[in-house]
Amino acid sequence: MEIPYTVKPRPDTGLYNGKLGVWLFLASEVMLFGALFSSYVLLRVGAEPGTWSMGLMDITVGAGNTMVLIASSMFVVLAWACLKQGDLAGYRKWKLATLACAALFLMVKWSYEWPTKFKHHDVWFKDPSVLHAAIEDGYGPEALHQGHNEAHTAGEENKAHSNDEYGWTAAQEYLHGNNDWEYPNRKATYAGRFFKRTGPESAKAYEKGLKGGTLALSGHITAYQEMQIDVTVSAWNTDGDSSEAASEKVLADLKVTDPADVRTNGKTVIEKTDYKNAMQAKHRLEQAGFTVELSENGYNEIKETAWFWRTPRANELIDGKPRVDSFTFELDNTHEEDGSHRKLTIKTIDVKRLSAYEPKHSTFFGIYYTITGLHAAHVFGGIIIMIYNLLPIGLLMWRKDRERFANRIETFGLFWHFVDLVWIFLFPILYIL
Amino acid sequence: MSDSHNSPTITTLIRMFYFVGGVLVLGTLITVLIDVMFETTLLTASVIGLSIAVVKSSFVVAIFMHYKWDKKLIMITWTMVLTFIFFAGMMGLIMWADGDIPHLSRTEVPVFWVVAAALFGLALPASFTILTVKLLSEPAPVEAVAPKAKRVSKKKKS
Repeated sequence: MEIPYTVKPRPDTGLYNGKLGVWLFLASEVMLFGALFSSYVLLRVGAEPGTWSMGLMDITVGAGNTMVLIASSMFVVLAWACLKQGDLAGYRKWKLATLACAALFLMVKWSYEWPTKFKHHDVWFKDPSVLHAAIEDGYGPEALHQGHNEAHTAGEENKAHSNDEYGWTAAQEYLHGNNDWEYPNRKATYAGRFFKRTGPESAKAYEKGLKGGTLALSGHITAYQEMQIDVTVSAWNTDGDSSEAASEKVLADLKVTDPADVRTNGKTVIEKTDYKNAMQAKHRLEQAGFTVELSENGYNEIKETAWFWRTPRANELIDGKPRVDSFTFELDNTHEEDGSHRKLTIKTIDVKRLSAYEPKHSTFFGIYYTITGLHAAHVFGGIIIMIYNLLPIGLLMWRKDRERFANRIETFGLFWHFVDLVWIFLFPILYIL
Repeated sequence: MSDSHNSPTITTLIRMFYFVGGVLVLGTLITVLIDVMFETTLLTASVIGLSIAVVKSSFVVAIFMHYKWDKKLIMITWTMVLTFIFFAGMMGLIMWADGDIPHLSRTEVPVFWVVAAALFGLALPASFTILTVKLLSEPAPVEAVAPKAKRVSKKKKS
């Protein structure tokens, strides 16, 4: 069936059908993104002061990606203009440039921006006193005095400046508070997490969080003490489904010498293994009718940056002992003399909540990943269409009907500009405000 | 541009495309610079940031999306305007349900305005139905024969 009005405009609408279709589609997109933007506004306005995690975004990356999208938006109209002039080589050139920009945008997001957040953790403590001690250790006068802290190395005169920069002079005047650990630079450090602009309100929220212990420490987990586990078989269920031979084979697979003896008398079958091996062995042995016990046999320091840790990862108990005993936490906004971050050792038993900067972290990150994820999905869809329009199969239309192919590129351009348009609004609301 | 009758030549268009590209880059730079250089309240920052975003997006819609030359085409305008009205109405309903309006001081507003906003949203289904019935239910007219079609195209030319 021939689709009518692919080139000439339909007289009553004044548009060729494809264009009207795309505009209707864009109208539905306005609804979709509009609803999410509105959700953002409602969530933000409804948030308690100090719980909206602004100031955690990397504005350089955001601005860079904005430029990339702007460029791609311009390239796509230039590609269309080339087609209108009958210049297929020019079309290819600009279309490839658009494609490259789109790919760069996604690469920055998926391989840099998001993974960086997934490695960044916030930790909340059960007991406010632990938080206070940790802050003292990380940002306190001792740390300042040792010349390890940013504010100190910047020099005394700059320090006064940086206080004002964060609005703390005003904040302190407002509070008239003078408790032991009110140090301007620490406040500034923390205020930056939730308050783009600081003032009396943010100072109050900070104080509340600090005293109540609801404030989180931010940084990276760079090493942790992971339990080494012994797997012990104690009994074998004779009424079970597994035959003697089958269960002994399971033991033999685990490289146990003399499986028949172990089956009847029990033994520690694996020593000092890691969590994954221990759990797999436990599962297999239990399937074979054994009663299995896991027990601690020392802790092993693992030096790697933790990704995506959540509370259960830090709080899991094995045989009544923590799977992770403690971890090294490199604090944000601190600098040692060698340029590294100040390290704290945090006992997992003190941890109330642990979260990477993932959607579950907070309402802010929930809506952030929802909107930018949906936008990224649009960019990805656009990439697929652009590839199709560059491949010989897509170019068949060019050989058949040049005008129609140009219209096809124009309608794709409309979609692409819309995607750019969404980002134009996303950039200020997510990265700047 | 086959459906617009008084659009400029391709070379003029390309010049405009580069100009718009420059405006967009400049807008982004200004936004970032203001954020880095000045300390502003959230309200000021929102007004400035979103105004720049609106200017940028207007350029995208007008030039990149050819709306400047398509706006006489009632279909696009109506589609987008009615979408907006419908959307505003839906948001009005949500706020009504929430009993709260996103006002920075979080004061309650008279329910009247929220209900009015919601009712306003009914304009979409009603007007869209009328428009659809009027324009699209008839079989596509043959250009040379249908007098109505002629009238529409004459209008566009004037």
